[in-house]
Amino acid sequence: MLVDSDVHVGYETLLDLCDYLDAPTRELVEHSGTNGLGMPTYPWYHPTGWLRRDTYDVETTAVGAQLPGQDLDRIREKLLDAYDVTYAILTPDEAAAFAVLPNAQLAARLCSGYNNWLLERYLEEEPRARGLLVVTPQHPEAAAEEIRRLGHRDEFVGVFLPGGARVPYGSPVHDPLWRACAELGLPVAVHTHFEGVGIAGPVTAAGYPDHYVEYHTLCGAGMYGHFVSILCHGVFERYPGTRVIMMEGGLVPFMGLLWRLDTNWRACRSEIPYCRRPPSEYVWEHVRFTTQPLEEPADDRLLLPAIEGLRPWDTLCYASDYPHWDFDEPAQTLRRLPASWRDAVSHANAMSFYRLPTPVAA
Amino acid sequence: MTASRPREARIPLAQAPPPGAVRIVEVGMRRVAVFCVDGRFHALADRCPHRGAPLCSRGQVVTGIEVRDGELATGPANALVRCPWHKWDFEIATGRCAVDARLRVRRYAVEVDDDQLVVSLSTPR
Repeated sequence: MLVDSDVHVGYETLLDLCDYLDAPTRELVEHSGTNGLGMPTYPWYHPTGWLRRDTYDVETTAVGAQLPGQDLDRIREKLLDAYDVTYAILTPDEAAAFAVLPNAQLAARLCSGYNNWLLERYLEEEPRARGLLVVTPQHPEAAAEEIRRLGHRDEFVGVFLPGGARVPYGSPVHDPLWRACAELGLPVAVHTHFEGVGIAGPVTAAGYPDHYVEYHTLCGAGMYGHFVSILCHGVFERYPGTRVIMMEGGLVPFMGLLWRLDTNWRACRSEIPYCRRPPSEYVWEHVRFTTQPLEEPADDRLLLPAIEGLRPWDTLCYASDYPHWDFDEPAQTLRRLPASWRDAVSHANAMSFYRLPTPVAA
Repeated sequence: MTASRPREARIPLAQAPPPGAVRIVEVGMRRVAVFCVDGRFHALADRCPHRGAPLCSRGQVVTGIEVRDGELATGPANALVRCPWHKWDFEIATGRCAVDARLRVRRYAVEVDDDQLVVSLSTPR
């Protein structure tokens, strides 16, 4: 069995969502700007291409198009069938930018349209696919409303939040979102996306990176901010059933963060009384991590000692990041881990985290 | 022949530390800190088991902050001593480290004898 926890899907342009939007939003999508509404996006361009070149039609993709869509047939051919994937967790591409759009009301309506589109085009069509709801952290009440609108559907197994944000996700301003997730038993996936874009804070406090390669090396920084915020604000105490998965933030940095946070908690816990235990203790119970991009030290023997403190046999879930350029092929990824971890990482941890049903043999 | 080191020290009860304060006494070669928590006296070694700091003589007696029934609240008054170096808290009554269950400050016996407080190097009952 194989569960791929990070498979990106997207539309070609926002116009593709028109049939799934309410009329006023459709009007804005069609008539804003010069030729329709655009989303805030990265100021860096990947110098050699955002996507695996065999995952889109090079000939028909419009000049300047950045993230060609992934229709279901292509995902079946290139991923689900090719690797015998049991379940794929579908994550957004450009739609992640709704969360960093200044106009929060518009963003909420776009989220609803995208979630409707995802449900009809992918999730209702492909039993191996499960979705994450795209919502508006910049408008937590609207996010909660969207979670309650669709979160009861079996096709949706969680809520997606990008690393780029205006306020760290542990802050009490996000409580409506956490409360709705707790009510529905849905986990939250925090995935690096759109740091330094739209209303999101800067990638780091060092100032704006000049190059894509700098951004992509640093992009986990936003996730680390959310990770620490969620732990320090006691989200897992206030909403005890909450589960969080950190996607595409790497693994090694989280180990160092946890060591440092546990040490700081000992001196500073009077400031954060809702965090009653050493923060790492909440992580083992409530937080999971995805493999991709699994760090690649020059001497691969250095990898396991650097990550074993994260208890990967309990916390690590395989992810490919298909169709992005840094795709991690499943067999190659799993081969780098001890045999005793592989069942857990390839599927068991994710099955449990997302509460996926055991597939019935054909 | 050398005289054996004293195993106890006595201080007038009138000079015993009030709640929130500490009184350091020398017993033999050891520095022992006396505290009063909720009307009871306790004695701890003046040495932090984490990194050896002068825990009690240079630390602070504090009241913990906790969450009770979902609301912020204060814990038992003046029940903790906070290390001056890394700010780890220890329960005065038990010596237990509040942030690392593996650590405990050494405790000593202390009792009231008429108008005197008797601090001894024996293990508290």
